[in-house]
Amino acid sequence: MYQMNRRQAMVAMGTFAVLVGCGSDDSKKQADDLSANREGAMPGYGADTGFKAAAPLSFTVLYNNHPFYPIKNDWLFWSELGKRTNVTFQPSVVPLSDYENKRSLVIGAGDAPLIIPKTYPSQETPFVASGAILPVSDYLNLMPNFAEKVAKWNLQPDLDTLRQSDGRFYLLPGLHQDHWVDYSLAVREDILEELGLEIPGTWEELRTVLKAMKEKYPDSYPLSDRWGTLTPGANLLNIIGISYGAPGGWGYGEGVMWDPGSQKFAFTGAMEQYRQMLEYLRTLVEEKLLDPESFTQSDDQAIQKLVSGKSFVISSNAQTLVNEYRPPLKKANPEARLVKIPLPVGPLGPIKYGAGNTRLENGVMISKKARDSENFVALMQFVDWLWYSDEGQAFAKWGVEGVTHTKDASGKYKLAPDVDFVGLNPKAPKHLQKDFGFSNGVFAYGGSTELLQSTFSEEEIAFQKEMNARKPLPVPPPHPLTDEEREQVTLWQTPLKDHVTQNTLQFILGKRDFSEWGTYVKELEANNMLSFVDMVNGAYERYRKQHG
Amino acid sequence: MVTVDGSRGYRVFQAVNAVVLAAVVIVTLYPFVNVIARSLSDEAAIRSGQVNLIPRGFTLTTYEYVISDPTFWTNYRNTVVYTVVATMIAMFMTTCYAYVLSKRHLKGRRFLIGIAVFTMFFSGGIIPNYVLITSLGMKDSIWAIVLPNAISVFNLLIMKAFFEALPVELEEAAAIDGMSTYGILLRIVLPLSKAVIATMVLFYAVAFWNSWFAAFLYMSQSDLFPVTVFLRNLIAGATGASSVGADAMNMTVAANIKAVTMVLTILPILGVYPFVQRYFVTGVTLGAVKG
Repeated sequence: MYQMNRRQAMVAMGTFAVLVGCGSDDSKKQADDLSANREGAMPGYGADTGFKAAAPLSFTVLYNNHPFYPIKNDWLFWSELGKRTNVTFQPSVVPLSDYENKRSLVIGAGDAPLIIPKTYPSQETPFVASGAILPVSDYLNLMPNFAEKVAKWNLQPDLDTLRQSDGRFYLLPGLHQDHWVDYSLAVREDILEELGLEIPGTWEELRTVLKAMKEKYPDSYPLSDRWGTLTPGANLLNIIGISYGAPGGWGYGEGVMWDPGSQKFAFTGAMEQYRQMLEYLRTLVEEKLLDPESFTQSDDQAIQKLVSGKSFVISSNAQTLVNEYRPPLKKANPEARLVKIPLPVGPLGPIKYGAGNTRLENGVMISKKARDSENFVALMQFVDWLWYSDEGQAFAKWGVEGVTHTKDASGKYKLAPDVDFVGLNPKAPKHLQKDFGFSNGVFAYGGSTELLQSTFSEEEIAFQKEMNARKPLPVPPPHPLTDEEREQVTLWQTPLKDHVTQNTLQFILGKRDFSEWGTYVKELEANNMLSFVDMVNGAYERYRKQHG
Repeated sequence: MVTVDGSRGYRVFQAVNAVVLAAVVIVTLYPFVNVIARSLSDEAAIRSGQVNLIPRGFTLTTYEYVISDPTFWTNYRNTVVYTVVATMIAMFMTTCYAYVLSKRHLKGRRFLIGIAVFTMFFSGGIIPNYVLITSLGMKDSIWAIVLPNAISVFNLLIMKAFFEALPVELEEAAAIDGMSTYGILLRIVLPLSKAVIATMVLFYAVAFWNSWFAAFLYMSQSDLFPVTVFLRNLIAGATGASSVGADAMNMTVAANIKAVTMVLTILPILGVYPFVQRYFVTGVTLGAVKG
């Protein structure tokens, strides 16, 4: 109870931060006059020059401390970074468990470090009105690598989704060359073989497979899912929803879906496609193919069912497959073979769809204070080099050639024999993340497909190949809300989302009949669904008129 | 006359009582035993759900692993230091304040009680507190943890009630014999208050040992964190829903490592409890009945 109250207080804090920051915007400088801010910057910095500060510099950074590889001051990452760029970090260490709270706090209190990484698209929005965050889109001319990647990979439409109502954006996102699909289902291949079945390619084929499993093992629930405790059906509703055209779970987002046909946004939870997905899931539950506990049980419980042979299919990504499922499964049943299958295809045909349907990742916010620093230009160059240049990305991910890895003539990376990472050298005494500080989620993400896949196993590369052959959906157009609108929308969104989540489960579990779908939509309308969608569509129209 | 403890009703009551309490004991103990069993088990056994009360795949390597982690010990030492210093400061402040408030003839007593009780219901909020601590230059120092929480109003009121219950004649006699106010407090009142002091020490020590929030707010270097922050990070993982699904480096810490850390963290406070508990019972009830 006690901590709950604190957490609520934290939420309130974000709002407060907005109030605090409002008064401090009057000393706004001319965006283009940077003559006083060039101390330590590298003259002639460009996309292919590398970066070295003209004088030793030190930048504060908010550091998300991962319990799997807790921060160490003697990491090779820090020292080598200093050697290469003349820049040292002063990390302000925050436990990963409460990173978002602390971020709100330090920004709200005006005590934020200059560099604020690990911020997911749309998480920057609450801070925009406070004026505490730099509108980075005004300074992209200082970031040649960023600009080059955006142009080369044609990321402009993706970037546009970040724009606020003033037409600028405040987050430097991680950039991917290609959509990255990671989450899918893992299936017991040995059971498939035993039953003489192929890997299911569509959701209907999956149903057939589950049925056959149920017939052979009547005591089992063939599909018992995880990741339900925070968001019920987080992965399942997302991946099925995508292929029907109306994602729930992790993919629910703000609750609207872009309909390219009518050129309008529609409310996801009331869409016909959403209903079709729920009906599909309902039949699975009805035929006892899908464990009704899938939406509420803890991850550990779900894994236990899988390991003990009470279920055969579960949500998975590449990491959980290798780290969490296979080792205990192998111990419990040496015959068992678990594989991650390409996303089954639904009514929309073979499409690919990463998180949020853009090719953007979590990224970096820059504190507004940085603009007044005499090292501002150097800071932007440094961020550009470390997070966006090929050289910086390869360094942050793989470390130092000859120490942590080697590279063969074709440019293929190979870990040094005494270094382990994602289970590639399980017997090695040292670990790339724990002992050297590379492949750190704070500094290393995004990048070219080649770099991304350089740590993938063969089977994962095969999965990626299959997924990349599919067609991406168009990115939804920008529809930035004004501050007042956003406040209003937040008030509408929460009860709407609660109602959708609640009824999603009731429909799936059969506590509510689909004949009541009309009533359900009416209930959503009573909760201001139409006003909400109208406001989003209005924002879209307005932005289109103002910014083309 | 039928004595109370001989009556039929009383015996039924005792039987029911015993059963209910035994059930409570089992429910309370089970998680402890389970965590201890997990801490001694093999990761795969935990994952497959075999570990309940008895360790499966017995191993001590997890203990060796955690014990060899320098960050764990740095944070553990911090917890001990923070707890000891904070408890000492808190005891000093609370005793002084409570003793003053227990004197009914004190002018402005109601006001002094009022401002203390006020803070039980209203506070400045997190951001103003953060700004205050930062501008006082206490961020990243032990003072940020030990000073802001030096007086718990709840504890203050218990102590005040206890002091009020002491016979006023004792203090009068000491005063007539020529003792100063401080002499009375140190030589007469405090020796008579061992029960409540032990209780307060226990209350404060447990609270400081378990607290993580102040450290989370005001500390920005991992070697200043108490072990509770270390533990919370290990166990909670990411609490922000948005970052759970999308994080590619979605590595989890092994279940047995979590268990070992938990066991090592609760061990000292668990060890202290039984010894202080007899004071604890007298202390709280004394304050309660006579307050």
